[in-house]
Amino acid sequence: MPELSGTGRLADDLYLIAHHDVSGKPFLQPRALGLGLAGALLAELVIAGRIRIGPDAVTVTNATPPDEELARTVLGQILGEAQRHPVQTWLQFLGRTATAEVAERLYRSGYLEHVSQRLPWRGDRWVPVNSDSAFAAFVRVRSVLDASRSASASGAILAGLAQACGLGSRLSVAAPSEGRRRSIEEAVRELGPDLLALIAQTRAAVDSALLSQRV
Amino acid sequence: MSTVKTTPGTTSSVSQALAKDRLGVPHVLFFILAGVAPLTVAAGVIPAAYSTTGLTGIPAAFIAVAIILGLFVVGYVAMTRYITNSGAFYAFISRGIGRVVGVAAALIALLSYSFLQVGLYGAFGPAAASEASAHLGVNAPWWVWALVAWGIITILGLLRVDITGWILGILLTAEILVIIAETVSGLLHPAGGHLSFATLSPADLTSAGVGTFGVLSVVAVLGFVGFEQAPVLAEEARRAHRTIPLSTYFALGMIAIVYAAASWAMAANVGTDHVVKAATQEGPGLLFGLGGNTLSQTAQFLFMTSLFAAALAFHNVVWRYMYALGRENVLPAALGRTGGNNIPKLASLAQSATGLFVILLYAVGGWSPFIYLFFWLGTTGGFGILVLIALTAAAIIAFFARNQNEENAWRRWIAPALSFVFLVAIVVLATTHYGILLNAPPGSAASWMLPSSYVLVAVVGVAWGLILKARRPQVYAAIGLGAHAATGQLTPSPAAEDTQA
Repeated sequence: MPELSGTGRLADDLYLIAHHDVSGKPFLQPRALGLGLAGALLAELVIAGRIRIGPDAVTVTNATPPDEELARTVLGQILGEAQRHPVQTWLQFLGRTATAEVAERLYRSGYLEHVSQRLPWRGDRWVPVNSDSAFAAFVRVRSVLDASRSASASGAILAGLAQACGLGSRLSVAAPSEGRRRSIEEAVRELGPDLLALIAQTRAAVDSALLSQRV
Repeated sequence: MSTVKTTPGTTSSVSQALAKDRLGVPHVLFFILAGVAPLTVAAGVIPAAYSTTGLTGIPAAFIAVAIILGLFVVGYVAMTRYITNSGAFYAFISRGIGRVVGVAAALIALLSYSFLQVGLYGAFGPAAASEASAHLGVNAPWWVWALVAWGIITILGLLRVDITGWILGILLTAEILVIIAETVSGLLHPAGGHLSFATLSPADLTSAGVGTFGVLSVVAVLGFVGFEQAPVLAEEARRAHRTIPLSTYFALGMIAIVYAAASWAMAANVGTDHVVKAATQEGPGLLFGLGGNTLSQTAQFLFMTSLFAAALAFHNVVWRYMYALGRENVLPAALGRTGGNNIPKLASLAQSATGLFVILLYAVGGWSPFIYLFFWLGTTGGFGILVLIALTAAAIIAFFARNQNEENAWRRWIAPALSFVFLVAIVVLATTHYGILLNAPPGSAASWMLPSSYVLVAVVGVAWGLILKARRPQVYAAIGLGAHAATGQLTPSPAAEDTQA
């Protein structure tokens, strides 16, 4: 049963923002969505203190397995590589499967349900259990966009990644109608260098895909 | 404490997994050829060139330009490995010569590709009009059909629907087969029963004076536009250091042979002395008439689809440029934003607005679209591309001189310098003989206004670049980086190359 507080996990929040709250249809092209969610999964590990995003490579600072299963899997993949890879490589690699894996995680938490399509040739779809599923995610974003409130770090990362993969117009749903708006760039600037680099690289990956018309 | 399950292996499973998604030579080659639109050149540019310039050295020009571009490509693909935002001339120029010149180059590129895109409506309109009246009995002026195409392209652009790969593949293959069939048929029935090689000889390049070499080269370059797009896929290609050059050389070779042969066949079939007159009378029919009736009918239909596909392809090139420049804040940032589904709506609409304006302008002005819209604007676009290629050749030499690299002398400066010399000669000759290109009297408004549009745009670009340098140094520093403007990353990350041991 989904609670209004959300799962508290970054990739989950991003997924819910990126899909329509009733039909479950995505607001992004598949590859852009995958890259954004890959960035979010990496951000979760940064926040948990397990990895660092350096200028040339992603390195593991603490190999203790995280509690959550998907985070354990991603950390395992990074540890399992004999060589270190730059964050661009990890975004591309994780981006291939991130959407499916995050959807599974939300399903196990009770936020999404499986809906089989009436038309047989269309694949099955994930649909939010109810229209409040994305509530918590938008509350976090709103705390960033409303200059009268203090921005939470998790909100800033979420907003930054969402903007990076192309959800800028979707975020304006959460913007305050009166009062001063805080720009996402302003809020993101307060984050540490690792998260800043991650958001910038996610944006670059999505743009590259757009420019080479593989989005 | 349980340990994290690792995925051990001696080779990187990440590299292996990513390698599977990567593109090989066929896909990259296809990407290039999709923008080249063979029938557009064979049935559109070549007859228009014969009739407007009055020159017969077109077949020889394709071969000569292929060689010059081949020399250029040597340094071009080598430099691809050292910079991001490959596939954009202005990125190379920014890193090689300087960012201020880079901004000017960006605007020149935007103008060139815009000319090329908008010019295509001038051929599509008449082609569709004649098809419609012949097969559907519908008689409407060219601009109605041009607006229909414009409308469809605008909608497709806003929905980010591109012509799917396999449809494009079928059309491309059909176009090439039809051109080959027409060419063979034309060569088998030469005028006077005797096959003349006159138009293939280098002497024909300067038959009416040295200046004609410049004019002919501008025409020929139109056939090759699209070859420069291969590095756009460099980050997506498998073993990019081999795939990109191979695809590019292959494309150059294929294009040169197909167009040289087709234009030769046209001249040989009606006779070298009569080809100009025949081209003036028949236009695209000069190609269609080389073969029998069925072939001709097929070719006419495919000519129409080719023009449409090319117009859509160049629409995409223009909005991509606007988007990249908007991302860098060289153009208004609003152009660099995407709406739902990652669609850069404003950039797409901006290009559509330009197209609409020009179509309506010519409709109201009443000028004949095939020569005055298609050929005049198309060749002016080609001229702009030539200027860009020449600047890029200089940028390649400058870049390798100032930056550490592992390239040999041939790639670092010999090949680029050779191509630079030829390219500059072509640009100068073409500028001073622009009237021949347009078939306008020397000193007429068009013959200086059209090439000067680039000077105007370049001046604006230099001024804007200097303003950015002074007022917005952060934006200035990011010029030429395109998608990587946010990260400030100058060189491709190692993952861009296939890291197989």
